[in-house]
Amino acid sequence: MLKNYLKIALLVLQRRKFFTFISLFGISFTLLVLMVATAMFDHEFGPFAPELKTDRMLGIYSVRIENSEKGYARTGASPYWFLQRYVRPLASAQKVSIYSLQRSVNSFKNGVKHELYLKRTDGEFWEILDFKFLEGGPLSAQDEKDGNMVAVINEATRRKLYGGQNAVGKTLDADGQSFRVIGVVENVPILRVTSFADVWVPLSSAKTNSYLHDGAGNFLAIILAKDRADIPRIKEELQGVLPTVQIPSPTEFNRVITAAETLFEAAARGIFANDRDAGDYSKPLFALLLLFMLLFMLLPTINLININVSRIMERASEIGVRKAFGASSWRLIGQFVVENLVLTFIGGAIALVGTMMVLKIITESGLVQYAEFQINYRIFFYGLLVALVFGLLSGVYPAWKMSRLHPVEALRGKSI
Amino acid sequence: MIRLESIDKVYRTDKIETVALSNINLQVKEGEFISVMGPSGCGKSTLLNLIGLLDAPTKGGIALNGTTITAYRDQQLAKLRNEHIGFIFQSFHLIPDLSVVDNVEIPLLYRRMSNAERRRLALAALDRVGLTARVHHFPSQLSGGQQQRVAIARAIVGKPKILLADEPTGNLDSQMGDEIMNILFELNRAEHTTVVMVTHDPRFAEKTERIVRLFDGRQVN
Amino acid sequence: MIKHLFKLVWNRKRSNLLIMLEIFFSFIVMFAVITLGVYYADNYNQPLGFTYEDVWNISIDMQTGTDDYWSPEMVNTTRQLYLALQDFPEIEVAAGAHSAPYSLGNRTSVNVYEGKRVEMEVNEVTDDFQKVLGVPLLQGRWFEKSDDALSWKPVIINQRLARAVFGDEDPINQNFRPWASDEDDHRVIGVVNDFRKDGEFSGLGNYLFERKRLDDPKNRPPANLLIKVRPGTPAEFEERLLSKLQAVAREWSFEVSPLVRMRETAFKFRLIPLIILGLIAGFLMLMVGLGLVGVLWQNVTQRIKEIGLRRAKGAAANDIYKQILGELVVLATFGLALGALLIVQLPLLDLIGFIRPPVYFFSMIMALLVIYGLTLTAGLYPSWLATRVQPAEALHYD
Repeated sequence: MLKNYLKIALLVLQRRKFFTFISLFGISFTLLVLMVATAMFDHEFGPFAPELKTDRMLGIYSVRIENSEKGYARTGASPYWFLQRYVRPLASAQKVSIYSLQRSVNSFKNGVKHELYLKRTDGEFWEILDFKFLEGGPLSAQDEKDGNMVAVINEATRRKLYGGQNAVGKTLDADGQSFRVIGVVENVPILRVTSFADVWVPLSSAKTNSYLHDGAGNFLAIILAKDRADIPRIKEELQGVLPTVQIPSPTEFNRVITAAETLFEAAARGIFANDRDAGDYSKPLFALLLLFMLLFMLLPTINLININVSRIMERASEIGVRKAFGASSWRLIGQFVVENLVLTFIGGAIALVGTMMVLKIITESGLVQYAEFQINYRIFFYGLLVALVFGLLSGVYPAWKMSRLHPVEALRGKSI
Repeated sequence: MIRLESIDKVYRTDKIETVALSNINLQVKEGEFISVMGPSGCGKSTLLNLIGLLDAPTKGGIALNGTTITAYRDQQLAKLRNEHIGFIFQSFHLIPDLSVVDNVEIPLLYRRMSNAERRRLALAALDRVGLTARVHHFPSQLSGGQQQRVAIARAIVGKPKILLADEPTGNLDSQMGDEIMNILFELNRAEHTTVVMVTHDPRFAEKTERIVRLFDGRQVN
Repeated sequence: MIKHLFKLVWNRKRSNLLIMLEIFFSFIVMFAVITLGVYYADNYNQPLGFTYEDVWNISIDMQTGTDDYWSPEMVNTTRQLYLALQDFPEIEVAAGAHSAPYSLGNRTSVNVYEGKRVEMEVNEVTDDFQKVLGVPLLQGRWFEKSDDALSWKPVIINQRLARAVFGDEDPINQNFRPWASDEDDHRVIGVVNDFRKDGEFSGLGNYLFERKRLDDPKNRPPANLLIKVRPGTPAEFEERLLSKLQAVAREWSFEVSPLVRMRETAFKFRLIPLIILGLIAGFLMLMVGLGLVGVLWQNVTQRIKEIGLRRAKGAAANDIYKQILGELVVLATFGLALGALLIVQLPLLDLIGFIRPPVYFFSMIMALLVIYGLTLTAGLYPSWLATRVQPAEALHYD
């Protein structure tokens, strides 16, 4: 049965080439835009080196310290004391790392200024994340403990500052401080909030140690679970700890709101709750993204429906014959939906090739620092799913309309 | 086999009502060859469509093998058409995208059977109408008579009890028309297939067992 | 003739509904993208209120994690930095500011003045800020050293804010508090044409400058120092400048960037999304146009009999052209009228208040023209096909 549907679908496509072209143009363009968007999304939130264990990783991305009586609050990255005293000791976590947001710093080499992103990390950071080392090795807990002035740099920085030569052992001047390079890693794209930087140095190499007790700060944490099943336990444990937090300035602030969450959950909580509560808003955000996707598909869908509907009369005789020889309306709907799906999937294949090209262009344009956008099986799978949804949306109404064609009417016209 | 009881068929549009058939009573026995005659617009095709379950009467009942099927739903009607009825049209209605044998297979697509079995039955039906040499041609490569023979093969491939033919020779010259009629008479004779045929041509009508004459939607004999 | 066309379209309303819907959505998409483009172009043509050439910004990171806290030492260190800048012959003049042009982040105040709700962006700047950025004054004067002795606090506002608050009255010497929490008296001492901190593409808003002092420990130290360098100062100067700053404040971090470069970044930030949106909208319109060609083509093939009849009754090829295109225009008009009706609600409901009405209506008319143009172009080939129908051929088509 399906084989027969496919056969007629391909035959119909070959018959009117102009119609096939305009249908495919719309389909592949629509799917291309959606696939490129999916690729961007995946490169932001999906598991990519060095963040390979995303299924076992949670983070502290945003902390709100508020005065619930007077209504004011400070929201943003966490102060150091909170992470050190309340997140690091979490019993259900396997490992916890504290690191700072990356900051743009200047580095001068032979009178030329280089702007580098510098991130301060502890030793655990390098145990949790899977950086690929081109030479040397990671920062260690000992470096952090001793306040060693050592740095790991990325490949791009090695090229900029040392002409691509071996950099381990060389001196790196950045932000008015001097570091010894101990390792070089592959570039991490700027989309990776957790791991991205050009230069990574120990937390304790900061110019002053006032960060240890400052009321505010720009620190984040990674929490690694032993296995996936521990994820909810970690979330619960942190929520249990929050009411016991002793804030250094208790007259000013009396409450801490945060959550151990994935980056996507953090983004969702920021959008829907403005970080004011610790709930899980990932489903509404997902629904919102889906809504945007459908909204974007609206015009292409109507366009394709129009083309499909206008071709019904062209096939009136076929519909009449099939009905006369025992095809029920459902069968006909099935046939035309399958035909439309075939068309959509051909469009999807074209879109896939187009997506690869567009991603290559974006990668080469350097618009997103260090990002190397590529198709992977996740993006492929989502693309397939999107194509299916699009094919059904644009196929069901015309198919229904075709199946409603009265056989007597359909057979009255001349043979085609 | 088929019984039509006091059938009315009225077409309604926004403004006008057209009576296509009025108080038709007709009994078709198994193995009969009936021709329906009458001037253009007298309701011949409407009658055939009602017998073929392609259309529902406004009033009255249709019974097939003693079962009244007036209240059947789309899916049941489709199954009845598939198993019991074969259609032959004046303008052939072959699907131009499909080869001859694929066209003949269409009724079998809506039955459960293997592809090989379908192919075997389709080839047998084409053999029956003498077109074994053209199975992989496309309709546009055939003459009118050949196309109508394909259409007959399609109508008989599912071994229906009833063949409904709407002016099967209307688009053919007389020699080809004779060939087609011979096939129909042969089917009726050899396999006891019931045939109801609408025709303008008294030559062919006279050879059938019974002539139903219609005028302005009424039976006149 | 027109009535006849309307009747034709109306009688086929069911099959035409989807086409109308398509035109309606195309119009909405086109309107949104054009509005954004026109909005940017309109903003670009408004006065900027400062000059960015040869101005560099030094952003100071005092390593506190927040700018809510400061100590008298920090104020003093900032003053030392400011004084250190005076030693460089490359620097013509330097000033402190809370937020620098083309930088992200705003401080916005919402206050009520005599029952009117006033929203404004607030910046705190030192006396030399005007000289660094060449901010033209329309009325009154800029901050000066002698303002230290005033018993009230001086503020300078842009013309838009002056109009919004004082109407036709003279704003100079009027009392006006920037923040709802202010307790001191504030008075307007000057009016500038405008100051669009976020740059050429940003919207037009109200702006207010407060006076910042570097010698008052109660005054929050500025997060930015802006310097006007002598024309032709080489980029190498940055390194010397930074090492000097670093020598004065060891524990702080600095970022030096010429405003020209910050401007480029700000431009990219605004234009890249517009370009991407424009590309997508362009392809969508191409898709819609091609789709319409297909639908109309099919439509003409189905109506060969009708068209042949018209030809047989003496309609010239030109009349057929007119009829097919006329029907299309009527159809498009239905879809566009629906869209326009919806879009007109936006300013009425004050949903897009930041867009000026002329921008809005200009964009609407542009979008209308684009969609009419698109539908007519799509109709050309199918209607030409229709004129090729021979009366005889059409009539025996049965």
